[in-house]
Amino acid sequence: MKGYSRDFSIQELNATFLSRQIRDGERALVGANTPVPRAGVLLAHLHHGPNMIVCLARTRTNVYNEQRLANFELSTDWRQARWAESYYLHYELFDAFDKITHIFSVGALQIDPYGNSNLIGVGKDYRKLKFRGPGGVATASAATDLERYYLYVASHDKRIFVEECDYISAFGWGEGRDHRIRLGLPGGGPQYCITPLCIMDFEQESKRMRLHSIHPGVSLEEVVENTGFKLIIPDHIPVTTPPTREEIRLLRGRIDVEGILRK
Amino acid sequence: MGIRDIKSIQGAMENSTPKRKDKIITEEEAAGFLRNGMTLGLGGFINCSHPMPIVRAIIRRGIKDLTVIGPASSGLDLDLLVGAGCVKKIVSSYFGAETITPISPMIKYASEQGELDIFECDEGMYYAGLRAGAQRLPFLPTRAGVGTSYPEVNPELKVFSDPIKGETLIAVPAIRPEVVFLYAGYSDPYGNVQHVGTSYGDRALHRSSDKTIVFVERLVSNEAIRKEPFKTSIPVADGIVRSPFGAHPFSSPGFYLLDKEHLREYVAAARAYTMDGDRRLFEQYLQKYIYGVSSHLEYLEAIGINRLLSLHEF
Repeated sequence: MKGYSRDFSIQELNATFLSRQIRDGERALVGANTPVPRAGVLLAHLHHGPNMIVCLARTRTNVYNEQRLANFELSTDWRQARWAESYYLHYELFDAFDKITHIFSVGALQIDPYGNSNLIGVGKDYRKLKFRGPGGVATASAATDLERYYLYVASHDKRIFVEECDYISAFGWGEGRDHRIRLGLPGGGPQYCITPLCIMDFEQESKRMRLHSIHPGVSLEEVVENTGFKLIIPDHIPVTTPPTREEIRLLRGRIDVEGILRK
Repeated sequence: MGIRDIKSIQGAMENSTPKRKDKIITEEEAAGFLRNGMTLGLGGFINCSHPMPIVRAIIRRGIKDLTVIGPASSGLDLDLLVGAGCVKKIVSSYFGAETITPISPMIKYASEQGELDIFECDEGMYYAGLRAGAQRLPFLPTRAGVGTSYPEVNPELKVFSDPIKGETLIAVPAIRPEVVFLYAGYSDPYGNVQHVGTSYGDRALHRSSDKTIVFVERLVSNEAIRKEPFKTSIPVADGIVRSPFGAHPFSSPGFYLLDKEHLREYVAAARAYTMDGDRRLFEQYLQKYIYGVSSHLEYLEAIGINRLLSLHEF
C-alpha cells in the first residue's frame, strides 16, 4: 500500500487510530498515565490539527510548532508547563467540560458488551472486594457529558471483557438501544474500544459491541477467544489501517522520541 | 519640638495603633488542630504538592479515626496515612501514583480487608460535594453517575428527580472539612498565598472549610505579593507554616521534582506487607522518617542534603 508504513508497533497503530478520530479545531485532554492516548491526541494535533488545543498537566496549549515534545512520565510533571498558554483549575473541568476537552479516553478493569466500564473494583461484595481498583477519576463525568469518548485498554482478555461488570463507574450504552436518551445523558457515549488485538465499535441500533477491525497479525479466533461475551462479527472484517509513513515520522521524530510506544 | 519629642510621640502612636497580625505559625501549632475522629482536608494532586509535614505529624502523634478529604486524585500521601492506621474513611476519586504504582497499596489492602470506608465518587461528584460545603447547602446535584453503580456502592449519594425539569440527577452531600491543610509555593506573612502553576483543587478545598493552614516553600514579603496580586490563589489563609521541601517526596511546581527513589522505597515497604504479610519494612520506614524524627527539619536531615538538592537537577 502506497504511503503506509510497514514498520510500526501495535501501540503506534492504536495511537494512529485515535488520532484519526480527532478533528482540527477540537480540544483534547491528555489524562494521567495514558501514553497511547497521549500520543494519539498529539499526533492528531501535529498531523492534521494546527488549530487544536491540547491539555497537558492542567495547562492548555497549542504545540503545533514545537519540534520535539518530551514524553513526561507523570501527568503532574510541572515541566510540561513550558508549553502552557493557560492554566486551568482542576474543578473547572466539571464546570464546563467541553470548554476544556471534546474527547476523553477511559480505561477499565472490566468492560461489558454495551461499553459500560468499571474502575471501582472486582468482586461481588463491595465491602470486601477481591481487587480494589484505582477509582473512577473523572470518567463518570466524561462519559456523561462529553460529545464522545474512547475506551482504551492495554490488554485484551476475558477478565476485562465480561458479560457483566461487577460495578459500572463510566456509563457506556447502558442496556443498549436508547438507554442513554432515556436517562437524559447529554454526551454521545463511547465510540470505539481500542485494544492490543482489535478495534471495536457499537452496532447502531442495539449499541452492542461489534468488531470493527483486527490488527495485523491477529486472527479472528484470537479476538473471540479473549472476549468474555459474544461480539457482533460483521461479514467483512478489515485489517486496522496501518499508520502512514508521515504519521510514523511524526510519532517517532516529535511525539515519542524516547520510543515508549515501541517497548 | 525637638527630635526627642517626635520620637516619644511616634513611640506612643505605635503602642496605641492596632497592628496587622501575621499568620505565621509553627509546625507544632499547625498540628495542634489535629483531633482524633475529625474530618480534615489535604491538598495536592497525585504526585504533586501534598502538605507532607502535617501528614507525618498526624502519624507521629498517633491521631486515629480520621475522615480525610483527600485531593480529587490522591497519591501516596493518603496511602501512608492509611498504612499507619490513622484513617477511618477517605473521600477521593483516585488512589494511585501513575507509573510508580497503579494502585495505592495500603489503600487497596485496607479496602479489600473491609477495614477502610471509601466515599466512592468521581471527580465531578467530589467537587460538587466541596462546592455544596462552601455554599452551606445540604447537597448539589450532578448528572455524572446517573445509570452507574456509584449510588449503590455509596449510599450517601441519592438519586432524585429534579423539581424543575424532572430530570434524574444525583444529590452529592456537602463535604465540609473542619480544617484543610495545603501546600503552596509562596505566602506573605499575612496569609496571602500564591501557588506556582495550577493549584489543582486546592482552592475548592479551601472554600469548603472553616480553617485553611498552608505549608509554603518560601515566605515572601507583602510587597512581593502586591507585585502580582492576580497570582494570589488563597487570599485569607488562617495559618502559614514555613516549610522548605514541604512537599517531599512529591514534586513542587517550579521548585523540585518528585523523589522517585524515595517513593519506590515506600512502595516496596508497603507491598512487603500487603503482598507478603511482612510489616517490618513498613515499620522501618515509619521509624526512619516519621517516629524517629521530631520535626520537618529533622525529616529533611534524614533524607539528606545530597538527595534533596539532586531534585533540583532537571
